[in-house]
Amino acid sequence: MTETEPTTGRRVRDSLERRALALGALGTTVLLVLMFYYPVATVFVESVVVEGAVTLAIFLDLLRDPFYFGDLARVFAGESPVMVAQDFFSSDRKLGIVGFTTYQAILSMLLSLALGLPMAYLLARYEFRGRRTIRSLTILPFVLPSIMVAVGFVATFGQTGTLNGVLGLLGLGPVSLMFSLEAILIAHAFYNAPLVARVTTAAWESVDASAIETARSLGASPFRAFRDVVAPQLYPAVLMGGALTFVFTFGTFPIVLALGGIQLATVEVFVYQLIQDLNYAEAAALAIVELVISLGVLYAYLRYEAKHTVRSRGARPLPRKSLRPPTFSARELTPRVGLAIYGVIALFVFVAPILSLLYRSVAAPTGGFTTAHYQFLIDRQTTGTAYQVRPWPAIRNSLFFAAAALAVSLPMGVVISVLTTRRYRGRKLIDVVAMAPLAVSGIIVGIGLLRGPVFGFELGSYRLTITGALAIIAAHAVACYPFVVRTVAPGFEAIDRSLLESARALGASRTRALIDIELPLVWPGVVAGAAFALAISMGEFSSTVILATGTNEYTMPVAIERFIGRRLGPATAMGVVLLVVTSISFVIIDRLGGESFGL
Amino acid sequence: MRALGSERTRTPAELEAVDDEFVDAPVALSLEGVSKQYAETTAVDDVNLRVREGEFFTLVGPSGCGKTTTLRLIAGFEAPTMGTVRFGGNDVTGVSPEDRDIGVVFQNYALFPHMTVGENVAYGLNFADPPGGISSDQRVADLLELVDLEGMESRDPDQLSGGQQQRVAIARALAPGPDILLLDEPMSALDAQLRERLRVQVKHIQRELGITTVYVTHDQEEALAISDRVAVMRDGAPEQVAPPQTIYRQPATRFVADFIGDNNVFDADVERVDRGDGTSRARVHVGDQPFDLEIEGGTSLEPGDTLTFCVRPEHFSREATTNTFTGTVESAEFLGETTRVTLEWQGRSIRLRTTDPLSGDVTVGFEPDGAHVVDSSRE
Repeated sequence: MTETEPTTGRRVRDSLERRALALGALGTTVLLVLMFYYPVATVFVESVVVEGAVTLAIFLDLLRDPFYFGDLARVFAGESPVMVAQDFFSSDRKLGIVGFTTYQAILSMLLSLALGLPMAYLLARYEFRGRRTIRSLTILPFVLPSIMVAVGFVATFGQTGTLNGVLGLLGLGPVSLMFSLEAILIAHAFYNAPLVARVTTAAWESVDASAIETARSLGASPFRAFRDVVAPQLYPAVLMGGALTFVFTFGTFPIVLALGGIQLATVEVFVYQLIQDLNYAEAAALAIVELVISLGVLYAYLRYEAKHTVRSRGARPLPRKSLRPPTFSARELTPRVGLAIYGVIALFVFVAPILSLLYRSVAAPTGGFTTAHYQFLIDRQTTGTAYQVRPWPAIRNSLFFAAAALAVSLPMGVVISVLTTRRYRGRKLIDVVAMAPLAVSGIIVGIGLLRGPVFGFELGSYRLTITGALAIIAAHAVACYPFVVRTVAPGFEAIDRSLLESARALGASRTRALIDIELPLVWPGVVAGAAFALAISMGEFSSTVILATGTNEYTMPVAIERFIGRRLGPATAMGVVLLVVTSISFVIIDRLGGESFGL
Repeated sequence: MRALGSERTRTPAELEAVDDEFVDAPVALSLEGVSKQYAETTAVDDVNLRVREGEFFTLVGPSGCGKTTTLRLIAGFEAPTMGTVRFGGNDVTGVSPEDRDIGVVFQNYALFPHMTVGENVAYGLNFADPPGGISSDQRVADLLELVDLEGMESRDPDQLSGGQQQRVAIARALAPGPDILLLDEPMSALDAQLRERLRVQVKHIQRELGITTVYVTHDQEEALAISDRVAVMRDGAPEQVAPPQTIYRQPATRFVADFIGDNNVFDADVERVDRGDGTSRARVHVGDQPFDLEIEGGTSLEPGDTLTFCVRPEHFSREATTNTFTGTVESAEFLGETTRVTLEWQGRSIRLRTTDPLSGDVTVGFEPDGAHVVDSSRE
């Protein structure tokens, strides 16, 4: 009815708008290929190509090496599985590096479940002051720099750590937990139990009260109702928490590096060791074995999830109980006493390391307080030589890399969220391809970038190389954007399709509708994603340590690792600096948005 | 192919059965052989429709009949697997929704929650100038007045009731002056009373603006009340397209007879046919019960054929002297104005309306012209 000839300018703008999403998708694809798939492929090629010929020799050697695969290597080497199995159940079994890594990952998973599920029960079923705060805080370990946490654990469990200090005051101890499997497991639980709690709480809260009431009215006891109605809705979440814990702890690096020592080295630590020894082919092969195992577990979980996930959205949730028992009957008291005991353990595992870090950064070895450790940082800054790690460049580099990684990963994450939440054929594939970096360890990305783009691209007769700084930004962006997707995509998913269609019918192009309608609605998720990305980038260690070795591009986590080699004091001081910078950045970004959804 | 396929090829005349008012109006929208297939299902199956300018056209049918998909094909939210969509003669099959000059109203209002009422209504004016050379603000004010929400510009959508939100959605859809208004079950989320009020209002607005409107509903009563013409859809295609009175009084198929309004459908054997000018008479049997029916127009029925006829509940009466039979009251629902009675007769349920309470055995009948023959089976 209102046909007016659009001006040329408008037509150009329109056609740009129309293609913006496609351009965004193209740009994202190019970046993903350059920053992730090409480097990782480089690693893969390196492990199967020896002197120009394709061979599986490196893999086969690896599989048959008892050093890596323990007794299992004998099966790969052709021995009878029955014989090997018999030996395996005898007392002097050998696990090898891969076996040990699996073993500690399973134990870490069990411990994380043991510590995470009571937390989920507490958060989902009880009402108390600070419940929401604690629920929000469960995200925190996830974004805390692992090297900092490792330092916190050293400060807690070390020979002169706060634990032994407290035990000493009580006339007990000292206990030696350092360089023990226990320390690693507790540190892993510190990271992963809150994750387990988070996903399980979400599932528990989505259980419809009327389903339980129906079960009860049909004659089920409270326990039967829990077993038959609640539990089946929790299994997928528990399993997801468990699977993710396994994958994360299987690829563990900074924690084991700092807490384990060489006798407890995991696959990832060995990959790092092999790279230090310039044995790239074996490092690549080992990294790929690790990747295959991780992806296998993730795939098995996704298969399970596809079959079992039950979602009852918009349900009336179960009413929460008060922590104060209404009566003093055994039935009311037992779970609450259990939770109280759990609370003490949780305080020890989750709060002690952070407090110890803060305490040890100002504690003098002789007792009392000192600023000597911070003074050390300042001295190092003013008098340190060029090849020494100095604090200010570390802070500056961390902030710069974080800002740059944010600038890359945020648009990428948003574009991928748009692409994976619209319905079309092949969407799942894009989802998997885009999420793969989550399962690939930073070490692999680090080597790949180092051996690929940093070494150089062949482009015709040109050789394009990128600098170490660019490679670090790329590695950080790759590590960050899946978290942006995880926080933004649920928002897109939740937007009613008819909102978008209304905008389209009113004349908005796809891109305009994205800008006018969708982005404002998912904005809290975008902000949360940005906060995540920032924290992840600031704490990133695995790929940075590889790419920053021998350069001036070191970040705060790398600086901590350098300091920890000497004395704990400066490392804790640097850890506190990292904690403060990360927290401030996190809070600033978080203030820009409202509440968030998603992981 | 379904047995009804033959029915469909038989009805181009019915497709053209336009209310007198629109016979001369140009075609605003046409679907030509439009189909939409998903992986395993055919949602829309070879649909041919023409909607005339200014017409209020309704797609009605049970859930899964393809009515909403048809609307989405018209809007351009979905692309047809086959066929052509034309707006006023122009092929728009591949045109994006934003370039179609349409207004769409959804069942769930779909107001932009982060915008005020005024911003919602003004949104479409970002992409088109307001008709009549007035300012955007003026246009928004005019439209809010049209939907009885004057002065509500600065409210947030969540401060409004469901009915108010839906009226904002209608104002928003109309603001850029679209050529065609598409409404997808716009009243389903509202309670019954509100629905009737809004129905009257929508019809009034449509008349006032004279805008071509395609309306989707599963509520046959709503379809009859609001439309100039109704397409009754089933399994992805229209069974009958006609003005509401025709749909009600002369359902073309058994499905339409069943779906639209309360009805009693009988399968009968033809005993005798008396052809006359204009109307014919047939003597048929349902079981051993004989009935005399009046059939409009000529008929090709022969003795020995079977046919299907229907009798509306209001056509049964206890005073009738023809086509009488005796049944037993099975249930009676008091509806206020009338009572809906279900009689059990020869193992089937007969529905009728009375004003006084009935029980026990009741004798009822209907006039020969109270029956309508819907489907002469030709097996």
